[in-house]
Amino acid sequence: MNNKRILISSLRILFRNKLNTLFMILGIFIGIAALTLTFSIGKGTEKQLMDNVKKQFSSNNIYIGAGRGQMGGGPTSQGPANTLKIDDLEAIMNNVAGIIMYDPVQWLPAKEVIAGGNNVTTMIKGHSVESEIIWNRTVQKGQFFSKAEEKSAARVALIGSKLATELFGNSDPIEQQFRIGNIPFTVKGILEDKGVDAHGFDMDMDVIIPITTMMKRVMNVDYIMSASLMVENVDQMDETVFAITDILRERHYLSENETNDFSIMTPVEVKSVVEDMNKVFTLVLPLITGIALLVGGIIIVVMMLMSVSRRISEIGLRKAVGARKKDISFQFFIEASLVSLLGGVLGIIIGTIGTKLLASSMDYTFVIPWQTLILGVLIPVSIGMIAGIVPAKKASKQDPIEALN
Amino acid sequence: MIQLKNITKVYGKDSGQEVTALKDVDLIIEKGDFVAIVGASGSGKSTMMNILGMLDRPTKGEYYLENREVNSYKDDELAKVRNKTIGFVFQKFHLLPKTSAMENVELPLIYSDRKNIKGLALEALKKVKLEDRASHTPNELSGGQQQRVAIARALVNEPEIILADEPTGNLDSKSTLEVMSIFQELNKSGKTIILITHEQDIAEQAGRVIKIQDGKIAEDYRNENPRSASEELKLVDVNE
Repeated sequence: MNNKRILISSLRILFRNKLNTLFMILGIFIGIAALTLTFSIGKGTEKQLMDNVKKQFSSNNIYIGAGRGQMGGGPTSQGPANTLKIDDLEAIMNNVAGIIMYDPVQWLPAKEVIAGGNNVTTMIKGHSVESEIIWNRTVQKGQFFSKAEEKSAARVALIGSKLATELFGNSDPIEQQFRIGNIPFTVKGILEDKGVDAHGFDMDMDVIIPITTMMKRVMNVDYIMSASLMVENVDQMDETVFAITDILRERHYLSENETNDFSIMTPVEVKSVVEDMNKVFTLVLPLITGIALLVGGIIIVVMMLMSVSRRISEIGLRKAVGARKKDISFQFFIEASLVSLLGGVLGIIIGTIGTKLLASSMDYTFVIPWQTLILGVLIPVSIGMIAGIVPAKKASKQDPIEALN
Repeated sequence: MIQLKNITKVYGKDSGQEVTALKDVDLIIEKGDFVAIVGASGSGKSTMMNILGMLDRPTKGEYYLENREVNSYKDDELAKVRNKTIGFVFQKFHLLPKTSAMENVELPLIYSDRKNIKGLALEALKKVKLEDRASHTPNELSGGQQQRVAIARALVNEPEIILADEPTGNLDSKSTLEVMSIFQELNKSGKTIILITHEQDIAEQAGRVIKIQDGKIAEDYRNENPRSASEELKLVDVNE
C-alpha cells in the first residue's frame, strides 16, 4: 500500500526531472542497444556461417585444397597451386579404404556470361556429376548433366535461378543458349536455391558446368583447385587423412623436408575454424558491450548520487513528515530500477530495429536470440538495482535536521 | 501532553569541542497550549525544536510524549509519530519544487495508510483558504501562500501537535499576520501549537511564552490576552 504510493510519487518526480531521468535512461539505453546489436549480429553470423558450412561441407566430406598455406586463410595460398590433379583423386579412391566418391572442383570467381543482349559477370564452377550428392545440390528444373556429358566435356550448364532471370527474363531457360566468354553453352537445368555462401557470393547466381569442360574448354588447365571426398565412416577420419596425405606426397614427389603442397580439412576442422571466427562475436563483442553497460551503470550511480545531494532537503522533509529509512531507500532504489528498466526496454527495441535494418541492408540472417531479450531485461534491472543501492543507502541515512537547515 | 525532564543536549562530544545547547531543561506543555519559544540565535531554541520534534535525541534526560518515554522508540516508531502526532512547519517552507500545492500537501499521507488522499489534501488546503490554488506549483505562489501550503501539509494527517520553526521568518508583515491567524484558529479548534521565534512581536500572539537563554528556560509566562492576528489583519486590510 505504502510502497505503491511511494512508487507513484517516484514516477512523478522522475517525470518532473526530465533531463536527469533522460540521462540515466540514455546511459542504460546505449549499453543495452549495443548489447542487443552485437549479440544479435554475433548470433546471426554464427548461424549464417554454420548454415553455409553445412551447405558446402557435408559432415562426412573431406576437403582437399591445392597449394601450400592454410585454407582458412582464403585464396592466398603460397607456392604453385597447380599440382593437384584428377588422377590424384582417382589414386586416393583406389588406395584408401572408405572413400565413397569424390568431386574435383575448379572455380572462376568472375567471368562474363552473355545471353542475347544480357551481360552478367558471375561465378563459374566446374564440378563432377558426383557434386549433386557430395555438395547436396541438385536441380529444381531440367536435369543435372550426365556422366557421359562430363566425359565428353560437353558444353552444358546448370544455372542459378537469379541468373536465369537476369539472362532470360521470364522465358523458360531450359535448352536456351548462352555464352561463357566466347564459348556457347546450353542450359540443362536450374539449380536449387541456396542463397548467399560463406564468402558472400550469391549461390543463386552460380553457373555449374562439368569439371572437364571447365578445365579443357574454359580455363585450359590440367589441374584442379580443390576437391571434396565423401567418406563412409566419420570415426576413422584421422586415419583417412593420414592415408590421403601419404598418397598425395608420394605422387607429388615431395621430399621429407618439403611441406605439403595441399591442405586437408575435415568437418571437425571446418567447425573449429568457424567457431574461432565466432569467438570474435560471442566473446569480444559482448565484452565491449559489457564495458558499455558498466559505463551505463556508473552513469546511473553518479546521477543518482547527484540526485540524492540535490534532493537532500526533500529527503529531510520526507523524514520529517513520517518516511522511514526503508521508505527513503525504497524510493531511490525504485527510481534507479525504473530508469534502468525503461532504458533496457528501449535499448532492446532500438537494438532489434537496428539489427533488422542492418540485416536487411546487408542481406543478412536475422536472429534475435532469446538470451538477448532476457539479458536485456535482467541486466539493466540488476544494474539499476546495484546502482541504486549506494545512493539509496546514502539517502536513507540523511539526517533530517541537517537536510532542513 | 509533553513533558521534558532534565533534558540536556551536548554537541561535538566526539570532536572534543563540546557545546552544551540545552542544560537540564524541565518543561510541561499541556494539550491545547499555544506556546511560543523565544530566544536569540544560539540560545538553544532550535535544539529544543529538534528534540521536541524527535528529529534529534537528547544527550541526557527524559522526554514523555503522551506518557510514553521517547527514548524507547525505535526509528520506525519515531517516523510514525512524526507522521501522525506532529505536524512540522519550517521557516523555509520546504515544499517540493515543480510539484503542485495539492501534491505537496499529500506528502505525509504517502507514508500513512489513510484512504482518500486527494479528499484529505483538499480539505487541508481549505483550512488555509488555498483550495483555489491546489494545482499551482510553489514558484507560482507568494511566500505567504507557500507557507500556508506548508501548514496545510502539517495539518493533513490531523496531528495533535503543530511544531513551527520560525514560520514567519521569511514573510512580510501581512503574510505573517495571515499565518499567525491560521495558527490561532487551529489552536482554538484544540490543536497544541509550539512555535519557535526570535521576535517578541510574534510571541505576544501566543497564549504562553517561554524564553530560552544559554540553554536554559529564563522566563515562562502566560499571556492572558494574546494579540489577535485576525483583528490586526482586518486593520491592515482597511488601511489598504
